[in-house]
Amino acid sequence: MENGTLTQSEGKDPSVFLGEIIGHPVTVKLNSGVVYKGELQSVDGYMNIALEKTEEYVDGVKKRSYGDAFVRGNNVMYISADS
Amino acid sequence: MASSLVLPLELIDKCVGSRIWVIMKGDKEFAGTLMGFDDYVNMVLDDVTEFDYSGNHTKLKTILLNGNNICMLIPGGEGPVGVESP
Amino acid sequence: MADVGDEGNAVSEPLDLVRLLLDEVVLVKLRGDRELQGRLHAYDSHCNLVLGEVEETIFVVDEEDEDEEIKTVSRKSEMLFVRGDSVVLISPQSRS
Repeated sequence: MENGTLTQSEGKDPSVFLGEIIGHPVTVKLNSGVVYKGELQSVDGYMNIALEKTEEYVDGVKKRSYGDAFVRGNNVMYISADS
Repeated sequence: MASSLVLPLELIDKCVGSRIWVIMKGDKEFAGTLMGFDDYVNMVLDDVTEFDYSGNHTKLKTILLNGNNICMLIPGGEGPVGVESP
Repeated sequence: MADVGDEGNAVSEPLDLVRLLLDEVVLVKLRGDRELQGRLHAYDSHCNLVLGEVEETIFVVDEEDEDEEIKTVSRKSEMLFVRGDSVVLISPQSRS
């Protein structure tokens, strides 16, 4: 690859990955350590996330359930595809 | 051709497909196979181990890691294994 | 977006979910172990919010005890503005 610009020819971009996991169960971990598990409805460029059938875990212990949940992107550490 | 100059993001691009060690701001670290990234250095990692501040290891299949809190990237790293802890 | 069908209910981006919650009672989790419950009157793309009939709950750790048990402090406001950067989560609240 001789061109100076970024190439994304191989592998998965973040956007490709997100496209693949929409509608699937995911784990979202926040910087605070709180974990949300649910079905991924949508994500935007800020990593704002809409989840369905959401469960909240604090220190690995289930605390609460939400039907729908909007998570503001700045709090998100990672989104993991549950497999 | 300025072949000696390697831009930081080009270095990361060279790591796509190989193992990488990510050290976050704060006490968290990740090791995984870099599958891709974007201009914000949000990264898709496969076969990930998450290293906690308390010494816990968590295995994850595939994650999208927010680039916002990344501090340092070490190509080829497998995380803080075999490293003397303070 | 050339979505066919009921656009009013489509959730194509996360903030659409918040739009569907307008005039509903919502639970808002904030940074610093705070929660708000109230009716969502307005929001914007930063997640700045205007809530009415709000109850705020603050979770504090009581360090006087050795157990460090968690206490809650609550207060009510008729209406308040929330700056978006402190918002962590917004969810519909099943009315009790």
